[in-house]
Amino acid sequence: MNKYLGNKSALALFLLPALLLYSVILIYPVLQTVVRSFYDWDGLSTATFIGLDNFRELFSDPLLSTSFKNGAIFALVLAVFQIGLGTILALVCANPKTRGRKLLKTAYFIPVVLSVTVVCQLWIAMYDPTNGLINKLFDVLGIPYQQNWLSSPTQSIIAIAFVNAWQFMGYQFSLLYAGVKAVPEDYFEAATIDGCGKWRAHWHVTLPLMRETFKFCFTIAITSGIGAFVQMLIMTNGGPGTTNYTMTFMIYRYAFMESNYGYACAVSVLLVLISLVATVVINKVFDRGQHA
Amino acid sequence: MNTKAFRSFGSFLLQIPLWLYFIVSIYPLFWMISYSLKNNDEIFVTNPFGLPTHFRFENYVNAWTQFNIPKYFMNSFIVSIISTLFILLLALMFAFAVARMQWKFRSAVRTYMIVGMFMPLQVIMIPLAILVRDFHLTNTYGALIIPYIAIGLPFSTMVFYGFLVSIPREIEEAACIDGASIYRLFAQVILPLALPAIATIAIFQFLNNWNEFTLAYILISDENMKTLPLGLLFFQGSYSTDWGAMGAVMTIASIPMVLVYLLLSEQVERAMTVGSAVKG
Repeated sequence: MNKYLGNKSALALFLLPALLLYSVILIYPVLQTVVRSFYDWDGLSTATFIGLDNFRELFSDPLLSTSFKNGAIFALVLAVFQIGLGTILALVCANPKTRGRKLLKTAYFIPVVLSVTVVCQLWIAMYDPTNGLINKLFDVLGIPYQQNWLSSPTQSIIAIAFVNAWQFMGYQFSLLYAGVKAVPEDYFEAATIDGCGKWRAHWHVTLPLMRETFKFCFTIAITSGIGAFVQMLIMTNGGPGTTNYTMTFMIYRYAFMESNYGYACAVSVLLVLISLVATVVINKVFDRGQHA
Repeated sequence: MNTKAFRSFGSFLLQIPLWLYFIVSIYPLFWMISYSLKNNDEIFVTNPFGLPTHFRFENYVNAWTQFNIPKYFMNSFIVSIISTLFILLLALMFAFAVARMQWKFRSAVRTYMIVGMFMPLQVIMIPLAILVRDFHLTNTYGALIIPYIAIGLPFSTMVFYGFLVSIPREIEEAACIDGASIYRLFAQVILPLALPAIATIAIFQFLNNWNEFTLAYILISDENMKTLPLGLLFFQGSYSTDWGAMGAVMTIASIPMVLVYLLLSEQVERAMTVGSAVKG
């Protein structure tokens, strides 16, 4: 039997294609990025080793603080909107008395399957200052709040983050909904019998039991905020000026527009480190709650 | 009001946020479809919110004939189908070798593959672009298909692995006694058993590949090789004066995925959220 399942040539045939492709396309580039971050390199000519100079320069680069701040705002909008609102929607929707659950879930999820380009173009149209839906809506409702949504240096990052939050709400909602459903019904019932109100019971029973779901949802929200790119690119091209830069935008610009590959690699390495730290912190926060 | 009526009124109140968000989620799409059937005058002035008074299907005819939509569609289709098929095949073979075959380093190799799941795309962007350039793949289908396959592998192999390890050991014994070769065991026993997992991964990867933007943006510049998400990027500048046609283009681009979702909603949601079980 062991001989049958240890067939060397079969093993090679099954294993090697995936392993080879994965190593060449994924692992090798990761190592390359790390190595190149210590070089001054334009992508074509010979690279010169410059040690930590790229990183030193990076920490005094004003674009880094802009990008970091934008990443944080982006992540915050995603976390508050998707997880905050998503949790409330999931709790209400999971209530067996709620009607039209299937319809609601379907409607929430549809934006997830759309192309990000379509979604961004749609919201460019909606944010249009003169003809867009948002300003028109405020107008019709009699609220004198007309905005240049995408060209304001302070608001546009929030407006853009909201587009991402809107599109992927359905995804986070599905995770949260599954999380609520996974909590045994009797726990919640026991709490309400003991005289807990519905919302208090959710707060003390349902939510703490959804720890793993929250851990995952927050990890997605925070890391996709830090790494945001496509929405800025399509909706404002990083502008006005450089106000909507994120770290991925920096990588794109330094590598592909300014041919400063070594420096762009340093940004990539920092981005990965920040994502890693964020993930570890989220894990710690949610695990600590467990022992308290 | 008696208690029961009060209760049901209360639960009705509670459901209001659900329906409000229903509108927030759906109305922008309804707005897009309705303006795809209007002209500028109707969109901007006479009737910005409601259904079109007169359905201008000529917007769709214009969108389809004047823009490069059929080409983008074709490119997206080719790239997504081929990469999805290869992901399924390679990931299933890999998972079979790791989950069912007997050899020394299988858990190390599995761990090596898992690492890729946590790798943000941004970290491979630059060397990958250079790799594609050096292999003279820029502006070919290969420039997208090969990276998409590689990127899809870690996650897919893990899902298949989880599925394959749960199959009882007796399967191989029976196959061995029956004299089936290991290839036949894979093709005629394991493959059919794994069909539910294959369906899930197929949906997941197809959606991912169909909508992938960042790599396509970096690796493709030739108009004839652009995929749908990339092709649509350049409409806003060039055709901003004709909103109706823009709306039609966007609606056409969205229809296939929305249809797939409406037909297979439960499978699609399961596929998209299966990641939480594996990664969490």
